[in-house]
Amino acid sequence: MSATAERPVAEAAAGETEVMTYREALRLALREEMARDERVFLMGEEVGVFEGAYKVSAGLMQEFGEDRVRDTPIAEEGFVGAGVGAAMLGERPVVEIMTINFLVVAMDQVVNHAAKIGAMFGGEVRCPLVIRTPNGAGNQLTAQHSQSFDQWFASTPGLKVVSPATPADAKGLLKAAIRDDDPVLVIENLPIYKQRGEVPLDPDFVVPIGRAQVLREGSDVTLVAHSYATVRALAVAEQLASQHGISAEVVDLRSLRPLDVETVAASVAKTNHAVCVEEGWPTYGVTAELAARIQHACFDDLDAPVERVGMAEVPLPYAKNLELAAMPNDERIAGAVLAALSRKN
Amino acid sequence: MPRLSDSMEEGTILRWLVADGAAVARGDEIAEIETDKANMTYEADAGGVFHRVAAEGDALPVGAVIAHVLGDGESAPSGGAPAAAPAGPVAGEDDSAGGAAEVVSPAPPAGSAAAPDASPSVSAVGDGSEPGERIKASPVARRLARELGVDLASLAGSGRSGRIVKADVEAAAAAPAQAPATAAPAPAAPAAPAASATGKGDVTVVELTSTQKTIARRMAESKATVPDFQVRTEADVTDLLALRAQMKAARESAPSVNDFVVKACGLALREHPRANGAYRDGAFELYGRANVGVAVAAEGTLIVPTIFDADAQPVTAIARTTRALAARVRDGKILPPELSGGTFTVSNLGMFGVTSFTAVVNPGQAAILAVGAAVQRPTVAPDGSIAPRALMDLSLSCDHRILYGADAAQFLARVRELLQTPFALLA
Amino acid sequence: MSVATAPAPDVSDVAALAPETRRELYETMVLSRVFETEAERQYKAARIGGYCHLSSGQEATTVGVVHALQPDDLLVTGYRSHGFALARGTSPEAVMAELFGREDGCAHGRGGSMHILDVTRGYYGGWGIVAGQLPVATGLALALVRQGKPQAVVCELGDGAVNMGAWHESLNLAALWKLPIVFLVVNNEYGMGTAVGRASAEPELYKRASAYRMHGERVDGDDLDAVLEASERLLRAAREDRAPAVLEAMTYRYRGHSVADAGLAYRTKDEIAEHQAHDPIRRVRQQLREAGVAEVELEAIDKRADERVAAAVELALASAEPDVAQLAAGMHASGSAEQFARMRPGSPFGELALTFDAGLGA
Repeated sequence: MSATAERPVAEAAAGETEVMTYREALRLALREEMARDERVFLMGEEVGVFEGAYKVSAGLMQEFGEDRVRDTPIAEEGFVGAGVGAAMLGERPVVEIMTINFLVVAMDQVVNHAAKIGAMFGGEVRCPLVIRTPNGAGNQLTAQHSQSFDQWFASTPGLKVVSPATPADAKGLLKAAIRDDDPVLVIENLPIYKQRGEVPLDPDFVVPIGRAQVLREGSDVTLVAHSYATVRALAVAEQLASQHGISAEVVDLRSLRPLDVETVAASVAKTNHAVCVEEGWPTYGVTAELAARIQHACFDDLDAPVERVGMAEVPLPYAKNLELAAMPNDERIAGAVLAALSRKN
Repeated sequence: MPRLSDSMEEGTILRWLVADGAAVARGDEIAEIETDKANMTYEADAGGVFHRVAAEGDALPVGAVIAHVLGDGESAPSGGAPAAAPAGPVAGEDDSAGGAAEVVSPAPPAGSAAAPDASPSVSAVGDGSEPGERIKASPVARRLARELGVDLASLAGSGRSGRIVKADVEAAAAAPAQAPATAAPAPAAPAAPAASATGKGDVTVVELTSTQKTIARRMAESKATVPDFQVRTEADVTDLLALRAQMKAARESAPSVNDFVVKACGLALREHPRANGAYRDGAFELYGRANVGVAVAAEGTLIVPTIFDADAQPVTAIARTTRALAARVRDGKILPPELSGGTFTVSNLGMFGVTSFTAVVNPGQAAILAVGAAVQRPTVAPDGSIAPRALMDLSLSCDHRILYGADAAQFLARVRELLQTPFALLA
Repeated sequence: MSVATAPAPDVSDVAALAPETRRELYETMVLSRVFETEAERQYKAARIGGYCHLSSGQEATTVGVVHALQPDDLLVTGYRSHGFALARGTSPEAVMAELFGREDGCAHGRGGSMHILDVTRGYYGGWGIVAGQLPVATGLALALVRQGKPQAVVCELGDGAVNMGAWHESLNLAALWKLPIVFLVVNNEYGMGTAVGRASAEPELYKRASAYRMHGERVDGDDLDAVLEASERLLRAAREDRAPAVLEAMTYRYRGHSVADAGLAYRTKDEIAEHQAHDPIRRVRQQLREAGVAEVELEAIDKRADERVAAAVELALASAEPDVAQLAAGMHASGSAEQFARMRPGSPFGELALTFDAGLGA
């Protein structure tokens, strides 16, 4: 990674890629956008001196100064709202919320303020705010620190919500979010921060908001997922192929609002079976929306009901074995695929 | 064979508790059956005449026919040895319909014997939308079944809960079609007119459908190989038409004249085995069932669906079945099993005003009956007076290798006799 | 219930206000009062729906503070917004049309009474969640600092908002980051129907600023000159020294919390009458008389206000209702329609697609 930190951003040629972690890809996106546009600034708890609770902003304060990498007190409602106000005056704040569990504290500013500005004021003023925050569970962080409220925000008109699952998409979508003139929530993920992948070094590489991507082609069943669930789905697809001879297609949503239903529907129309996976609770969740859309768009192409896999419907317990059982683990995902295909094994 | 425990798959008849032919009432004990868990006593769930099918000691799967309890006027289904009806999903329904209550759980499969009036799924013509019993099939399976002309009722589902899935429909559609006629009643596509040098005007060359090719081949084969002769008579159907009118008044619909003809033929065939057979490879083949094929004209072609056991079926059932089959022919949905198994054929051109004609013997059968329109004619009554009666021409074409003049004449006379005493056809 | 106020301003300050300016301010105060009275009438005639919060009686605070704003200063308020928009210079017809939900309204009929705004005049709304506007206003001030601009922000809030967490977080940020913002606490003695003393452990609200080492002071909100003096001073400090402050303006609203509130469940008619005896508009009128303005001129001002408001109603009624086919207009920035294009299948709106086709960020 140090090679990238020293390489001046402007020199990167289009088409060139480098393998880096998801976290490093986010950092690269922030560096590039902050270098490109002086209105972009980072704000959040521990983003400066501490170098980021999850080290995403490491080195940025040294490079851009404390005015542009601004440490805040623990006051989510306050500094998210400050981000809203600053954006209304044309700044491009990137507010980091340590984890999505704490975004709940600032719900009013996100839902009642940021999401409403465009519509409520008749288009007279915009709010180009970016909020970045990881969701996810694992490592026994227990009930209050292990949630994925993606759907709360994805169901709010006025917001855009993206959730990259690969390092390349992390860079491309964060850049797209920063360049977008609307409030965008970028949902990252704790275990995904260390995933490695090829990332384009082109400073204008941007992944369009509202486009899903087929990460693995298949013919028997469609697995739809986002964030860490995509990582799981890819692993399960591999296992299904080698152990069961099942060919699974994996669709990574990448964007929750807008949601690319067309790509999902095209895939399910081809495979006739859908299994939707999410990290959060499936009741009223992202997978619930997918199931509704799929049954509507692909009614005459379905060979089985749409299956959903998510976190068990409990506040996540501490004990390791309970945590593993509660998460949408590979076993449960594979089981859902077998059920959809009416197979015992 | 009833399902007497949740895990029971097969049962053994230990002992019959009623005599064959005895009258039983609902609730009477009729058999002792050994199951996987215990010996159970089975009680009749309807009253009537007990007609044994399985023997003591027979081990049969759940759903197999072990006996019949016949209602008034019903006769036991024909056929010697009991056929083990396929054990479909045991829904636990009591099939105690008003008529002949079979001691078996699921609905009979396509083309099987004894379809009583009250049975929910009527013989071979069910598709996914039968009101009586909803078929579990996935949306894509239904769509494909529609598109490929597959009858969902004839499929067993391999999906969860017995759901019919796409693979099941695809497999059924790919199954090879049975001889003789594959259902292809689509109109032939006309080719471009060729230039004419023959003085006959523009010539349009029309390619034959596979059905038309089959008809051409078989009719030529028949004429070339079958030494055929015809016997004719006229049936006085005045009383038959009156009976029809009464039936129509009573319940808004009545079997057609042809349905009565089919019934009459069925009964007559039962009494004249050589008419219900075929000359084949130097021997007579005589058939145990009287299955009458009814010729149906469809777009540009001729299709002959089969009415199985025309002797045993009530004429009302024959009527219903014939109508449904004709509809399926017209919709292009007829299936091979519905077109095979015929032992005799009836062809009726009366609706076109044809008073008499001669049909071509169907290869593999002994005879074919050509029926004309019923026409009012002056006839001479026994006392010498002239009276108008409705007369209908019956022309029987026969394969002389199996049917001789007297046989043919007697058969035809019997048909005529039955038609002239129509109450005999109501059984 | 009267409250102790800051010492009365110097007489010289009163004279410092040019008569012409005083007359203009008076005119604005009268316009505001007439407008609010008419709004109440129109609300009861069902031409205005939803919530309608009137500021009748608070004109000295509203007009005085706004007058202290420079043209490029920014203003953020809660939902008692009409007077602030009018004081800032937004036309009464634009405000009335918004109340009527018409296309020519400030927010094109999308916001209503609580969401009046005028970006061209630096008025960034018009917000409906109590204290929700404080973090937003703090953000505006932060942006001014980042952009190196010498302007300041006035963030208006009511006495009920000071007990929300957002008050605490915003004041802390403003003081910590030295933001150019004045938090104007309009203390009209009641948060909806709850007297300040029943809601606030520290009812002298300006004192709470000291928790953040921020300057706080109280002023007689019904004394136009006092309000002017305090606002000008604090705004100058904010602009020049980046020193945020709390200005608590003591005033009174004659009408209920909103038009739907008769305002009598929690206070007596006598109390209202007592305050009306010190009507800030009457005070300024008296000052104008003493300064030599003729009665006919004062009456002409009143009449002009009536006419302007009547004309505003006419224009508002003539304005078109927003196009239903533009249901989602303004919600997203232009270019967003493309992003949402693939979300249509299975849309709960079916073919109508009211949201996705109805003017979404085209």
